Amino acid sequence: MYLELKNIEKSFGEKKVLTGVSFRAEGGKAFGLLGRNGAGKTTSIRILMNVLPANSGEVLIDGKPIDYKETKIGYLPEERGLYPKKIIIDQLIYFAELKGMSRKSAVQSIDYWLVRLGMTEYRNKRLDTLSKGNQQKIQLITALAHDPDIVILDEPFSGLDPVNAMLLKDVVKKQIAQGKIVLFSSHQMSYIEEFCDSIAILNKGVVVLHGDLHQIKRDYPRDRLVVRTQTPEEVRADFKDACTIAEDGSLMIRLSSPEEKKSVMTRLTENYDIDEVKVFEPSLNDIFVEYAGDATKEA
Amino acid sequence: MKQFATILKFELKYFFKNKVFIGITVFLVVLIAAVMFFPRLVTVVEGDESDTGIELSSRPIMFVKTDPAQADPVKEIFSASFPDYDVYMTDDGTDEIENAVLHGVAECAFILKDDTSFTYYVNNLSLYDMNAQIASEALSRVYQMNAMINGGISAQDAAGIINIQIDGETVSLGKSQFQNFFYTYIMIFALYMVILLYGQMVATNVATEKSSRAMELLITSAKPTSMMFGKVLASCLAGLIQLIAIFGSALLFYNLNKAYWGENIIIESIFNIPPELLIYMLVFFILGFLIYAFMYGAVGSTASKLEDINTSVMPITMLFIIAFFVVIMSMSSGEIDNIIMKVCSFIPFTSPMSMFTRIAMSTVPWYEIAISIAILILSTVGIGVLSAKIYRTGVLMYGTTPTVKNIIKAVWKS
Repeated sequence: MYLELKNIEKSFGEKKVLTGVSFRAEGGKAFGLLGRNGAGKTTSIRILMNVLPANSGEVLIDGKPIDYKETKIGYLPEERGLYPKKIIIDQLIYFAELKGMSRKSAVQSIDYWLVRLGMTEYRNKRLDTLSKGNQQKIQLITALAHDPDIVILDEPFSGLDPVNAMLLKDVVKKQIAQGKIVLFSSHQMSYIEEFCDSIAILNKGVVVLHGDLHQIKRDYPRDRLVVRTQTPEEVRADFKDACTIAEDGSLMIRLSSPEEKKSVMTRLTENYDIDEVKVFEPSLNDIFVEYAGDATKEA
Repeated sequence: MKQFATILKFELKYFFKNKVFIGITVFLVVLIAAVMFFPRLVTVVEGDESDTGIELSSRPIMFVKTDPAQADPVKEIFSASFPDYDVYMTDDGTDEIENAVLHGVAECAFILKDDTSFTYYVNNLSLYDMNAQIASEALSRVYQMNAMINGGISAQDAAGIINIQIDGETVSLGKSQFQNFFYTYIMIFALYMVILLYGQMVATNVATEKSSRAMELLITSAKPTSMMFGKVLASCLAGLIQLIAIFGSALLFYNLNKAYWGENIIIESIFNIPPELLIYMLVFFILGFLIYAFMYGAVGSTASKLEDINTSVMPITMLFIIAFFVVIMSMSSGEIDNIIMKVCSFIPFTSPMSMFTRIAMSTVPWYEIAISIAILILSTVGIGVLSAKIYRTGVLMYGTTPTVKNIIKAVWKS
């Protein structure tokens, strides 16, 4: 199964929010939808969930227009919130029933998830008696209880302690293993890097980068070397402007072309006391800053 | 449809688990029970008192001072004119009489200077005090009688002429406004209270969901039309159940105590509502409730903070209060079928109260009723669909409260 957004256009009044947004997310894999605040992530998700109508474009499942009666979607919104004054089990059943479950199977599934997330003791409590992290776990149940085909998690890890984050990771990994389409939206790049096989980066309503994360990293211009040495001053003096100091104290040498790699490596190892030299592979964070941050890209 | 049922059930449960809702309903039922059982309790207590043989005159005292020669006919005529008072003739001076009234020995006093002038003394002059008018009428009768006697007619004949009794009978071929006034008033007032209270509740309910961000999830789980109709119909049902509980218990307690209420015209007229009027009441109540609740819900969805609700709903509340006052003014003026009422009874926002009042207190041709109800049904459905659209747009707008222009634009586009 795969989900595809094709040429989605959306504007609010005069303001164009999405321009020709297309991306594809595969079942059994996690997909990361990235972008800075206001880049159009939430709007894309809302269009995908049929909350907002798109001006033009299509949402497809396996190449066919999505049928919202058939395809079940689970959603953890970035803006968390349920009914603070209501009993937890009541509202969980309500949301599950709204998604089309019978009361009996709703109760079964919710009880499973309460156990799974270690929340059984709060079953008959009011939501506002819970801590923020626990409220978030309750909200996660509303996204998963009806066994959705597509799971959309917007900033799922924010506000969770490391133990709960680990628990959520396990849950998400199991969802992926079940062949579901898991769509992540987050600013915490380390989690995206850990889970997502493919990503799309939105910038001002335009998809500026889309594809397999490993491939993206591999296709990145291999024109920089990371060097760790006992004599950084000598190396810097030698390479002058091409050599900069990276954040972790290692040296970064920019090559004039990727083909220069071998000769520069030889030159380094033969002339200096080198601990390590390797081709620079960007982290997702580097890629994100480069594509989503305007200033960096123009420079 | 299943979604709608789920929402309706959930929202209805909210009312029946709400302590304030239950509390108010129970309180009103108990209050009505207390009122309805009151005459019965009074009879029981009074029954005990009469056994002791003490009977105190409960009537207020009136002093009258006049020329001693006139004392007898004056006393006779004043006693007849003021059946609610014990009339005593007095020879006291003006100061003493004033003191007696001031200290409550007598409730009021008349000092007659001659045949044609008097002074009325009373402690606190009530808004409805008619004694002076009655006294001048009585005095003019004394004057007429004296004139007749002086003209040669015997005192007996003169008294017969003066005190002639006229029998009159009124046959109302349409409706008696006096009889219908009380129950119409009560029904209009119930309609007014329930729509205002529940309308505000719907608006607050929607705004709470929005401000607690439960909306983010709701809007992705259910259709806005199901949400809007589920919510509004649930509150309509809750309101209806509350009204039925209150009026039903009133009717039940009245019937239990009917014998003790005796010939109380007001109470009797309240409980003698014609059944077809109850059906009209139900129709106009449901439609009027829905049309306002939809508007309140739509407005609630445009507020981004709960505090904004009060100002946002003001135009709707104003509209409704004006509609209410047009009806109440027309009712108390006695001119039910005035031109404003006729116009209002076809405007969907005012017709639930205006048309209902006209049906209750006057005779309205059936086709006017049919047209009014048809307009109301169509507008209610229209407002319902429109409000669901506003709701869908409004709930996702955060930050500053959107202007009316923005909402219209957004609804038009969606």
